[in-house]
Amino acid sequence: MSTRSGADRELVIRGAHVLDPSSGLDGVMDVRISGGRVAEVGEDLHGVRELDASGLHLFPGFVDVHAHWRTPGREEEEDLESGSEAAAAGGFTGVVMMPNTDPVLDRPALVSGLVRRAERESRVRAYVAAALHAGLEGRELTEMRLLKEAGALCVSDDGPGTQNADVLRSGMIYARSAGLAVLLHCEDRSLAKGVVHDGVAAALAGVPATPASAEDAATATALVLAAETGARVHITHVSTALSAALVGFFKGRTGVTADTTPHHLTLTDDLVRTLEGLYRVNPPLRPEGDRREVIEALRDGTLDFVATDHAPHAAQRKELPLQEAAPGFLGHETAFAALYTELVLGESLPLSRLVEAMSCAPGRWVGGLGSLAVGAPADIALADLEEEWTVERESLSSRSHNSPYLGRRMRGRIVGTIVGGELVHDRMGAKLGVRT
Amino acid sequence: MSARDFISLENVGREELLEVMELARDQEEGRLGRLLEGRTVCLAFFEPSTRTAASFELAARRAGADVVSLSSGTSSISKGESLVDTVVTLDRLGMDALIIRHPAAGAASLASRHTSAAVINAGDGCGQHPTQALLDLYALGKSLGGFEELAGRRAAIVGDILHSRVARSVIPAFGTAGIEVSLVAPATLLPREADVWRLPVLGSVDEALEWGAEVLYMLRLQKERMSGALVPSVAEYARYYGVGRRHLRPGVRVMHPGPVNRGVEIASDVVLDGSSLIPDQVSAGIAVRTAVLALATGSVERAAA
Repeated sequence: MSTRSGADRELVIRGAHVLDPSSGLDGVMDVRISGGRVAEVGEDLHGVRELDASGLHLFPGFVDVHAHWRTPGREEEEDLESGSEAAAAGGFTGVVMMPNTDPVLDRPALVSGLVRRAERESRVRAYVAAALHAGLEGRELTEMRLLKEAGALCVSDDGPGTQNADVLRSGMIYARSAGLAVLLHCEDRSLAKGVVHDGVAAALAGVPATPASAEDAATATALVLAAETGARVHITHVSTALSAALVGFFKGRTGVTADTTPHHLTLTDDLVRTLEGLYRVNPPLRPEGDRREVIEALRDGTLDFVATDHAPHAAQRKELPLQEAAPGFLGHETAFAALYTELVLGESLPLSRLVEAMSCAPGRWVGGLGSLAVGAPADIALADLEEEWTVERESLSSRSHNSPYLGRRMRGRIVGTIVGGELVHDRMGAKLGVRT
Repeated sequence: MSARDFISLENVGREELLEVMELARDQEEGRLGRLLEGRTVCLAFFEPSTRTAASFELAARRAGADVVSLSSGTSSISKGESLVDTVVTLDRLGMDALIIRHPAAGAASLASRHTSAAVINAGDGCGQHPTQALLDLYALGKSLGGFEELAGRRAAIVGDILHSRVARSVIPAFGTAGIEVSLVAPATLLPREADVWRLPVLGSVDEALEWGAEVLYMLRLQKERMSGALVPSVAEYARYYGVGRRHLRPGVRVMHPGPVNRGVEIASDVVLDGSSLIPDQVSAGIAVRTAVLALATGSVERAAA
């Protein structure tokens, strides 16, 4: 959010198909932005500065609660500038950064430092998830009240997860008292000895495999503890049919929320057959049966929203045999197109549900985002649903190139992204030229 | 010259198997000569191996190839140079074939994406070990009177199938040769989705013999897996998944890719018994690997000329 020069000025975006399930908006309308906020949505609006968006769709900006921008520590793979550029290119206007950096974000000074840097260097709203335990080692709780004062949005164990249930339980109780949500990576490492899903592809390929129970058992533990402690728990990257069903079972008993990723919604463990390190990710890609159940859970709201788990890795960490490669995929820049292509066009998921899952629901989770209600921050994604494009290394803004979609044809593309009234991504300058 | 990779036998065809078998026989009968003269063959072994490396090296040298050998413990391989960098370097030195052994499945196919030389997989993690399965077929065919005699025979593959690259090559290769295959393994040493092979799964060597196995293909049980969460004890393993003298009868052949854990998968007095094809497997290695090198480097027509 480095350039805010015109934030106070008025802008009218004209002629886009506005779709915001949280405000009940669905139709061709104009949006007036003033003071960085949504001032008016209606017909035939005019202003000093106008932006012709006819033919495009206009959504509340997407919110990604799960990203690794590798800062501090591995800036050669991603930093706040490149990460936020990638986010903006994908229509994301709010992003939560995970704490498994180097050093781990487990001390107030580290958190406040990163919050300040993000204010200067990020094009989009960037939030910090602080570590749930010191060093993410699963033993000692972090200073959660101080972390909150330092600016942490929530706490998380993402990366290694929490292997000790007692520490997880105490962490939930303490986080609740500190007023912090807990974002959990559910993985039982005593079961997770492999690098791919323990299925047909692993059997044939001979790659060390991890059973689905590694995720399911840890998810069950987290849900039971959430019910017992009353903590505000969010389970990230749910990837199996059973874990989705467990979330569903506990939804009535707790305030638990959950997300899944674009890749678990669109790819399967068939890719293991390539033996390419590129396709290693954690949780691993699952078989088609799990993918189908996860899609249904997203459709019916059991899984509240989508988060990308954007995880950049340098080529030398990926150009390896599967079992030696680092786990993780880029996510920001392909999320909308992959889900629009595969789920909306391919599986008849309503576009409004996709927008709710990418904008409204995660925006509510972060707080105050993901809506075009009058007075809301003017965070907007503009999409051309007709554009067809191919994901290519050269087209990625991220500093890394580990996208599982390289070479894939996609339908639908983000052409403009606005944060607080400012255009932070403008892929088709001519089309989005602001008329003054 | 056209480079041809030998990375996996998963989808191997009968004609391909036959081609290797016939060429191996030619080699054994001294009809091939120094057909790799002028070729450069690189051995890159990223994990320790004595037998396979020696077999490949002898095969290449006896056929007249120049051999460059890199192994862990020497050279850049121990200096942490990446697989890709090593392969690219060897490629620039001008090799015709790369023989690669690596602890991770997929290493050979990764290597093949970075060199124009023929890549021969000498074992990649739990993935594939194609030349082992080819020499097994050759040795077995020879003992039965020829490749055509393999069709309709019954072979039981016994032991740690989960972690076995040999099994992942032998299963499809034996199947393509027309051999009926069954699997004999503790449930903890079978992949969860072993049904994908559509083969009978039997509970012991005794059951395999009842099923009609003429070949007992014994796999090596790694020491670190002999006790603990996968196998309760060597005694229990040997009782159900080991072959002893009591299992031997006319027409039953015992095979093993080596090295054998005597007293675990094979009783000591069986290893060199007349029913054991283990020494034949080792000697078949030279002929089969020469054949593979010749096919991989496109050296066969030249030999015929």
